[in-house]
Amino acid sequence: MSATTAPRRQRSYRALEPTGWGIVGRWIWLSIAAVFSFFPFYAMVVLSLKPGMAVELPGSLLPWGNISFSSYEQVLGGQNLLVWLGNTLIYSLVSVVIVLFLSAMAGYAFAKKRFRGKEVMFWSFLSMVMVPFHVTLIPTFIFMAWLGGVDTYWGLILPSLANAQAVFLMRQFIQGLPDELFEAARIDGAGEFRIFLRIVLPLCKPVLATLGIFVFLWHWNDFLWPLIVGKSSDMWTLTVGISSLQQQSVPLSVMLAGSVVALLPIFLAYLVAQRYVQEGVASAGIKG
Amino acid sequence: MSTKTTEPPRIDAPPASVSGPAPSPGARLTRLLSRREARIAFLFVLPAFLLFIAFRFGPSIVGVGLSFFHYDISGELDWKGIANFQRMVADPLFWRALSVTLLFAVFSVPIALALSTVMALGVRRAFRGSRFFRSIFFLPVITSLVLAGAVFKWIFSADGPWSQLMAPLGLGGSWLGSPVLVIPALIIVGVWSRFGYGMMILIAAMQDVPRELEEAALMDGANAWQRFRFILMPHLKPTFFFLAVIETTAAFQVFDVIYVMTGGGPANASYSLVYMLYDQGFKYFNYGYAAAIGVALFVMTLAVALIQRLVIGKQK
Repeated sequence: MSATTAPRRQRSYRALEPTGWGIVGRWIWLSIAAVFSFFPFYAMVVLSLKPGMAVELPGSLLPWGNISFSSYEQVLGGQNLLVWLGNTLIYSLVSVVIVLFLSAMAGYAFAKKRFRGKEVMFWSFLSMVMVPFHVTLIPTFIFMAWLGGVDTYWGLILPSLANAQAVFLMRQFIQGLPDELFEAARIDGAGEFRIFLRIVLPLCKPVLATLGIFVFLWHWNDFLWPLIVGKSSDMWTLTVGISSLQQQSVPLSVMLAGSVVALLPIFLAYLVAQRYVQEGVASAGIKG
Repeated sequence: MSTKTTEPPRIDAPPASVSGPAPSPGARLTRLLSRREARIAFLFVLPAFLLFIAFRFGPSIVGVGLSFFHYDISGELDWKGIANFQRMVADPLFWRALSVTLLFAVFSVPIALALSTVMALGVRRAFRGSRFFRSIFFLPVITSLVLAGAVFKWIFSADGPWSQLMAPLGLGGSWLGSPVLVIPALIIVGVWSRFGYGMMILIAAMQDVPRELEEAALMDGANAWQRFRFILMPHLKPTFFFLAVIETTAAFQVFDVIYVMTGGGPANASYSLVYMLYDQGFKYFNYGYAAAIGVALFVMTLAVALIQRLVIGKQK
């Protein structure tokens, strides 16, 4: 931007923006929307802290009076919540590591290499975009039952590693990297795998961070597959476990305490990686 | 990755070093090296590809094939032709599930898109607090409705805040217990969980619109609505299409929220297609019939993609 156009631009930019009462008005309507949007989270936390009494509106929603952590003690102690939390962590973290690694490898080859069968392979990935996951559900389950993976960690994790979106994203990013970076290393005699580990992966850090947080989210929130493949309650993930709580006659405050515990890690992850999440959606259109 | 179209990305042109028939020693060495390189590249793709064949491509083909068989827990596989589909068309529960699914999609997608647009217009430019509002509005997108289901069950229960808010309009009582109001309740939850995603995509798309265009319109005396309708809208059309397609296909697959909030009830009033697939497959073990329902879902998804193609084709 040249120095002469900058001031004019700024002035007219301001003209498009609300001024004076306009700013206040925008704040007010956005705040009202935010209150509605945030209300479920607020109610979840406050009501989980008020066990053992009938919910009375609006008194029960006040953030003070009769605060007690006993619902948390109950849900953490009595139920299998910690086991489910552990399972969810295993499911999410193991999948993140493997999906990132495999999709970076495949994306690198698709972006920078020429080999027999590349087009066929790539199109078979692409052709599946419009096929709903649920079409594959029954055959995947039958296959998994035949392999003996029902009610095991590997049976839970393995099918979720086939992630076409991750491969597309990595390919897209690596295509934008200049070839010279790899050529120089190749002339120095570095092997392909070494080039991948030492050059490609470090260059992919930003996209790996974005993709990583999404793969983590998808697995944390995944429901249908863990529901089907986890038969015994110590193989359940948080989503399956929490949904089973709702079918028992568990008090509201205990159920909500379970929700809070299950959602907290994902909110912390979002807080830390907010920039990557928002950029991932805005610039790459990763599905939320 | 471009969000503007759903056109498939093109395969890049082959690198120049491989082509050319010159049989000089140097070229032969290059070709030898590149053949080695090709083999290694193939190995790079292989793990992801095998996983994909085993758990995505293969099951998709088998899923469609299975819909022509009778297959249940006994393990006997009987060719049935189109019997599963005939059964489906004659099954009132299928029509119920289809209409619930369509009703959910037809209302939740446009409402979510409209809300996304309004919110994006509100927070698209940086101002004090804009980042805070964006984060608040995006929070439901990363929240699993299974994990947050309990609070929504309470919100829509007979003595929950929503029923009390709606009581003056004569719409009190439990919304999840009412065969008429259960779908609107699910639509509200669906919109709540999805509008932030469209908002984020639309903010990015709105930032691509040259500011000068809006400024010029402003100086010509266009009001806010006219600036939106005639300056922003034409630029945002492809983004709206993109969002409409992915949100509609996602809405066709509605399951989690129904499973935790209503269990398909009351009296099957919220029984969706994926719920039926789940029931048939994993409660009654009618794998063939469940696969046929999956095929119906696939056809609906394809229809949406086809409509999108036709509309975009007409515009060009």
